[in-house]
Formats: sequence, structure tokens, C-alpha cells
Amino acid sequence: MSDSSLRGKAAIIGIGMSPVGKVPGRSPLWLAANAAKKALVDAGLEKHDGATASTMFNIGAAAIHGGLAKVVLVVASDSLMTGLTPDLALRSLTESRDQQYEMPFGIPVANTFAMTAHRHMKEFGTTAEQMAEVAVIQRRHAARTPGAQQTAPITIDDVLNSGWVTTPYHKLDCSLISDGGAAFILTSAEHARELGAAKPIYILGGGECYTHEHIFLMPSLTTTGAVDSSRRAYAMAGYGPKDMHVAGVYDCFTGTVIMMLEDLGFCPKGDGGRFVAGGQMTYGGQIPSNTHGGLLSFAHPGMPGSLFHFHEVIAQLRGQCGERQVPGAEIGLVHSLGAGFATNATTILGTENSL
Amino acid sequence: MISSEDAKRKPVPTPDADSAALWRGLRDGVLLLQHCGDCHNVQYYQQGMCRECGSENLSHRAASGRGRVHSFSVVHRAPGPAFKADTPYAVILVDLEEGPRMISSYTGGRPEEVTFDMNVVLVCEPIDDDTTLPRFRRA
Repeated sequence: MSDSSLRGKAAIIGIGMSPVGKVPGRSPLWLAANAAKKALVDAGLEKHDGATASTMFNIGAAAIHGGLAKVVLVVASDSLMTGLTPDLALRSLTESRDQQYEMPFGIPVANTFAMTAHRHMKEFGTTAEQMAEVAVIQRRHAARTPGAQQTAPITIDDVLNSGWVTTPYHKLDCSLISDGGAAFILTSAEHARELGAAKPIYILGGGECYTHEHIFLMPSLTTTGAVDSSRRAYAMAGYGPKDMHVAGVYDCFTGTVIMMLEDLGFCPKGDGGRFVAGGQMTYGGQIPSNTHGGLLSFAHPGMPGSLFHFHEVIAQLRGQCGERQVPGAEIGLVHSLGAGFATNATTILGTENSL
Repeated sequence: MISSEDAKRKPVPTPDADSAALWRGLRDGVLLLQHCGDCHNVQYYQQGMCRECGSENLSHRAASGRGRVHSFSVVHRAPGPAFKADTPYAVILVDLEEGPRMISSYTGGRPEEVTFDMNVVLVCEPIDDDTTLPRFRRA
């Protein structure tokens, strides 16, 4: 039995089931919660012992480690730009808001993120100019990335004068609407060696955290599940934020990047705006981030958005980034989030030297 | 995926078994919160069990309707054609006096009036014969 077998590696420690058959007067949410509650009791666990979402990378790595698969293909694509009119693309993103509690009020997806950024401004003094700086830096990065969707240089004033979307966000604080797709092949380290892969990049750590269903249930508008997901990923990898050479940080909006840089441990909570304005998220700074331009300037096709961050960080670690190469990059981090900050997933990647 | 025709209509909430009482209450002019008889948690998001302790010993009580703005954002680019004519409008997160936070939109004034920590009060606004939305105006 090889070491990659699932045998003896995982165990089911709790089971639960809701009433089944004809169960009138109960919603699907109730049925799921009822079963989950029983399974937690069965396992002797508390509600807060569980609760993780997942990324395809973390699941893929687990499947390989567990022996469920030898090779995993991670792939996603979407066509938000040409497949839909702009109105329908926005409306389609908005359909992810809650049908009863949110959608009737006309809440764009940007609004959820805008309210967190607005609160961050109120609590920590983060400024519109600091948020705009994120867009300016990432546009500069995109200009050096072949194939990026937006490459024309922009200034802070350009961002501030680009028109309101939903306060405090202007058009250039928001990510693009794009088509695109990305794919990856994952396999075991052993199999990678058998295959003679030129420069395999290893998944050193992964962590996930799920904190809420809807923005009005978010425990804090300014501190996210990225704190927990990254802590788990760092612990598994045996590295900390100071050890990262490059990062792909989810950037659906400029303010999101500022909050993520804080929660991932690159700077103290509340200092994100000053960190960015001080040049710390670009070349020569503490953590060059979104060196391909990110969702703000490279591309944002929806579903596969953060797969491009993976693509970039892996390319950086392989040393394939040409004029935008971060010198000596051996260890990198990718952080993605979804559903209005509800799901957070961190993955740490490294070269052979980092193992 | 929704059609162009559907996108022109404002979405109307479809109550489920958990939320039927909430929407019925709003038609009667009250905002019903769920009070846990065991841990005394109060919740707005209607469920069959307490989100804090899992108890099903919940009862409905009308909220005072008073709250404070925790955060807000003024929408200039509507989420689709149905809301275009309403822009600009302020989406607000309101901390209700009883504890829970809810999302809503500001009514009875200009969106520019909204500020952090502003006191607001519930307005039950009918949008059709079946549905009344909980919105807020300046207290």
C-alpha cells in the first residue's frame, strides 16, 4: 500500500440526517442545518470546529494526496464580456445576492464590497487616493504582461475622475468584465519526478475559511476569513508572510486588495492603505502583488478569475516572467475569495528549493 | 441565466417556509425578529433554528424599527435595467436596536444625506399587492 493511499488517512467521525420523505413547512436550509447539527453532536464537535469552503487547488491537492486521483485537471472559463450584454453581465453577477433579503433592494455586487471599503475608510482613515493607488500600480504591472486587457497607464486622478459606480468606488476601482479561461494539471510530487517535469511548483500549504452567507451576517466588515485561511496555509507550509516573495491577491475591487494585504499578514490591520501608497505591493516593496495586473487590469472573466493569479505566481516561481520577473522568487501565495468575502482560500506555492 | 425581458423587472422576494411570517408581518407594518428562548439571541435572517445555539425555541417579536447606519454605499450604476431609473440611491447596513444587522435602502430623502451612525427608522413600503419592503428613513 503506497503512502498516497487514502487507507487509514481519513475517517468519518459524525453522521446526521434530517427528517426525510414528506417534510412540510421546512425549507432546504432548515433540512441541511438540521442534519449538520445532528452530525456535529454525533461527532462531539462544536459548530465552529468546521466551516471551510474550498478552492479547486486545495481540493485537487487533497485528492492527489489521498490517492483519489493521480492527475487532476483544474480548469475554468467564462465569457462575461461577449456572452452577455453589460447589463445582463452585471445583473447575472447580482443574481448571487440573496433572493429575499438583498435582491429586492437593487444591490449590485460591487455594493457589497463598497460597503466594506467604506467602513474601512471610516475605521482606519483609508483614503480614496490610497485605494486608487492599487489600480494605478496594477495597471503598470499589466502594461508589462503580454495579452493583458487594459495596459494604458492611469493616474490616481484618472481613477478618481472615472465616474461613480457605487460609493466609494469609481469605475477604475472595479475589476474588468472579460472572457477567458485557465487550466492546470496537478499530480503527486513523485509522479512529477517520474514524468521528468522541468520545474514543478509545489503546493506547500492550503487553508480555507467560510464566515457567513450574506454581507449583513458578516462578523466584521473590515476583517475577513482571510486571517484564518492564511494562518492555516502558513502553518501547513512552515512559512510566514515575511517569507513570501510574490503574491496573487484577489482584487475584484481596489479596497479589497488593501483589506486582503492586512488579513494575509503583510501589514497590520488598518495600515493597508499606507502600505500600498508606500510602494509595498509592487517591485522593490515587501510583497510584489498581482504582477500580471490582476482582475483590475489583466482580466476578470468571473468564475476563473483567480486562476490567473495562480498562473502568474506559478510563472513567477518558474522564472518565466521576463521583464516583470520578481528576482529570486521561490515562494508565493495566492488568495481568492468569493460570495462577498464569505469564502476565503489561501494557497502557498514553492519551488523545489522551498521544500 | 436570465433573459433580457426578466432583467427589466425588479426582483420580488419569494417567501419560503422560514420567511413567510417575516413577509406577512411587513404587509401588516411590522418587522418581525426571531428571539431565541434559550440563549436570547435575536436574529433577522429567518431560520428554523437559532444561529447562535441551534435551539428551535424561537418566537417572533416586532422590532422597534429604530436603528443606526453601520455602513452604506450610494449606487450610481444600477444592477441591471430594472433599477436604472432609481439611481442614485443609498444601500445601507442598519444595526437594529435589538441587535441584528440588516441590509436595506434609504428612502424619504436624498442619498447624499446618509452618514455613518445616522439614526434611521423603519418604513414599510408596499411594492405591489403581495409584497412590502422594509426600508429606512432618517429618524
